[in-house]
Amino acid sequence: MTLLDLLLLLSLATGALAWLLGRWSGAGVLAALLYAGQLALLGAMDGSAAASPTFQVLGQTIAWSLDPFGRFFALITLGAAIASAWFMAGEWGRRYTQAGHSLRALHGALAINVLAMLLLLASTDLVSLFIGWELVSWAGFLLMAQGGAAAVRAALRYVTYAMGGAMAVLGGTVLAYAWTGTLDLGLLAERLPALEPGRLWLLVALFTGGFGVKMGLLPFHLWQAPAYAEAPGPGTAFLGAISSRMGLFAIALVLARLVTLEGLDGLQILPGQFGVRDLLAWVAAFTIVLPTFTALKQNDARYLLAWHGIGQGGYMLMGLVVGDAMGSAGGLMHVFNHATYQAALFLSVYAVIHRTGTADLNRLGGLVVRMPLSFLTMLVGIIGLAGLPPMNGFVSKWLIYRSLMTEGMPLLFVASVIGTLGTILSVYKLIHNTFLGQLRSEHEHIREAPWSMTGPMLALCAIVFVTGTAPGLVLGWVADAQAALGLPVLRYTLGGVASAKGGLDMLWIVGVLFGGFGVGALLFYGGGGRSRRVHQLDNYAGGHFLSADVRYQYSDNFYAGLMHRIGPLYRNAFTWLESALVSAVDLAALAMQGVYRQQAPAFLLLMTAVAGLAWVVL
Amino acid sequence: MDALNLALELILMPLVAFVVGLFMVLMMRKIAARIQRRVGPPLLQPLYDIIKLYGKQTQISHGLVHDIGIVMAVGGYVAAETLLPVPGMDGLADRGGLITLAYLMMIPSLGLALGVGQCANPNGSIGIARALTAMLAYDIPFVIVIFGVAWHYGTTNLADIIALQQAAGPGGWGAATMPLLALAGLFSVHAMLGKQPFEIYVAPAEIATGPMVEMGGKFLGGLFVMQTFQFYTAGVLYASLFLGGGENWLTFLVKAFAVVAIPMCIAFLFPRYRTEDLLKMIWKWPVLLGLAGLWLIMH
Repeated sequence: MTLLDLLLLLSLATGALAWLLGRWSGAGVLAALLYAGQLALLGAMDGSAAASPTFQVLGQTIAWSLDPFGRFFALITLGAAIASAWFMAGEWGRRYTQAGHSLRALHGALAINVLAMLLLLASTDLVSLFIGWELVSWAGFLLMAQGGAAAVRAALRYVTYAMGGAMAVLGGTVLAYAWTGTLDLGLLAERLPALEPGRLWLLVALFTGGFGVKMGLLPFHLWQAPAYAEAPGPGTAFLGAISSRMGLFAIALVLARLVTLEGLDGLQILPGQFGVRDLLAWVAAFTIVLPTFTALKQNDARYLLAWHGIGQGGYMLMGLVVGDAMGSAGGLMHVFNHATYQAALFLSVYAVIHRTGTADLNRLGGLVVRMPLSFLTMLVGIIGLAGLPPMNGFVSKWLIYRSLMTEGMPLLFVASVIGTLGTILSVYKLIHNTFLGQLRSEHEHIREAPWSMTGPMLALCAIVFVTGTAPGLVLGWVADAQAALGLPVLRYTLGGVASAKGGLDMLWIVGVLFGGFGVGALLFYGGGGRSRRVHQLDNYAGGHFLSADVRYQYSDNFYAGLMHRIGPLYRNAFTWLESALVSAVDLAALAMQGVYRQQAPAFLLLMTAVAGLAWVVL
Repeated sequence: MDALNLALELILMPLVAFVVGLFMVLMMRKIAARIQRRVGPPLLQPLYDIIKLYGKQTQISHGLVHDIGIVMAVGGYVAAETLLPVPGMDGLADRGGLITLAYLMMIPSLGLALGVGQCANPNGSIGIARALTAMLAYDIPFVIVIFGVAWHYGTTNLADIIALQQAAGPGGWGAATMPLLALAGLFSVHAMLGKQPFEIYVAPAEIATGPMVEMGGKFLGGLFVMQTFQFYTAGVLYASLFLGGGENWLTFLVKAFAVVAIPMCIAFLFPRYRTEDLLKMIWKWPVLLGLAGLWLIMH
């Protein structure tokens, strides 16, 4: 019995117990504890931890083993699962059951997701990778489809994409086996880079495209926002935190470990000018910019965050394909950071939904006085998402910016910063329209969310802040993951990175920042007259005094000036592309239907005639 | 001893920034006055204004976030000053660098935005929406400039960038080696200061329609303090990137004041751009200049 066996068994047991005891009131706490137990097992592992069960396919051994790279992702998965299970352990879960939903199905789906992800992360060959991939895809569907009619529609759309992606991955797997004669990742890492460029191109395209679907890489991103946003509360937080990162895990595995960066450098489009790495970096740049500005347009808090999730994935891929120690560390660290603040943000949005019943940004406002802890969570989360100090999102983005500077990639750098600036605009709209501005009269008497919900939110906030102040805590795991992938390893300190060409020490930065806030507070509270707190309706606009029955919250078309300029750029090109593809498939299906069912005799005659003609001519 | 020195620097650098910034505000008012054929305010007027605002009897707070917004607006700049080297004091320049400085400079905007949002005045929110849009506009040429300078000198450490320029003499200053980037930088500094024609989001002439609408007393006083820091930061940062920083306090101050004076001399001759025209203007000229400058130094 190895540690990985125990981990997988415990994960399986969590699923079974979640299903069996899902209706019991303590199920959420039990599930959170079981996930914590899995996390403890993960912490006890070191080096590569293998599982005992193996089997044979085509004379090849299929096995599972968790290396530090997989463990890094497993850690995030289990952390997100704990937060989600904890969130639904109390009042949220009771309300969910009362509304006629099945809490045990939700608990079960979450546990199955975790198990599937652990299996994927522990894969050691292409077959176990594919098995894990399929399990993750279908487990994701289980979680997504529980949110009602809109959710089912979104989940079905997801499945279409996921199947397409899986077929590409399967094709890549078969070709890789045919050309190298092995399925083992270790052996593939030796043999793949030696393949001729044409074959390597095809494999890179199939794997990156297939796995990229899950990650929401452009242009395969359309499914993601509705599928995540419509899932039931904590499910959304879990999916948003880690689910699509499985795609990044697999892409990183294939590109960095199997094909290797040197192998990728051999694939050139314009030799010496533009290679596959540049291409991927540009895909990442577009994945950052376009979804971020789509998020800016959203009027539903859940959709806004889900679109940002797609955009943030671009940073991770960007850092990874830049490929130097800082860039890849930034990309990998961003997976952790994004999971923490994204989960916190989704949970705070669902806390607001729990109390107000809506996530519509035009129907909220002023909640900070009623729900201060949820406000705090969202504040910490948006500072992380926007990538400003002192939160952890800043550190990972700093590493990526820094590596783009070192490698001399100005346009990609500017694209990344544009993404960040767009995010600042968008998250301000989120927090302003939810928590600031006018409190609606129907929200006058609501209370803060219960502790079972604010607990995980505040815990996540603490992680976001602490790992932003002392990023070395996470960079240790990141460096191990880099080593396992065969990437250059980042030399880090507790506060960040020491470098002769400009480093980063967050301990000092956060220190002076709070010192500065201290000075600001001293000036504000220490100096001048005492301020008098007024009711928010002690206010006027356009020369008129305001009253509670007048709705004056400025929320709709929040960035009117900006939209006036960039609005025409939203032409829905991707939606058009998707519907064109659907039409093409429809047409082909219609033709096939014709062959098989409707005008069979005529078609068969035609085909026979064509074949006969061809035979005569040839 | 080192720790003591550093502690002293961390205290002195924001103080210097505040005092110099006060004189920059004075200079701005003097320039405006002279252009409009007025005498302008006396030497200590900016300080009197701050004292007056802090001392007002009516201080209206719309809630804790309103207060915290002001604290963040001032505090963010106080922190940023410690990353900005002055003659004889490097502060934390080697622990943060240019990128961190650029991002610390966004914290005050975010603080102001939070504070204004809490006031629940739609005019304030409109002002913030415009201010953040303007930030999206001018930060793009700004980061192009930052990238260019960092790439050219091979470091993000501002103290090293200054040292390299000073070692090379005026011919090696950023303005001489990267003229297009220097021009783009001047544009974005101008917009960053929120002066005409880029002042729609501050809307100082019609106070009831901008972010300041609910700001009175020490709230406005805090924002006044923030403005002194803002002038100083923009002037000194630009001087450090393109004019070789300060060899001594005299040249340092001359350069910093000159940098702030240029936009001021231009500003008061102009009316105002609408938000969408501001975007168009800044995304076209400074960005093109910046990209052309980048291309030149990288090839």
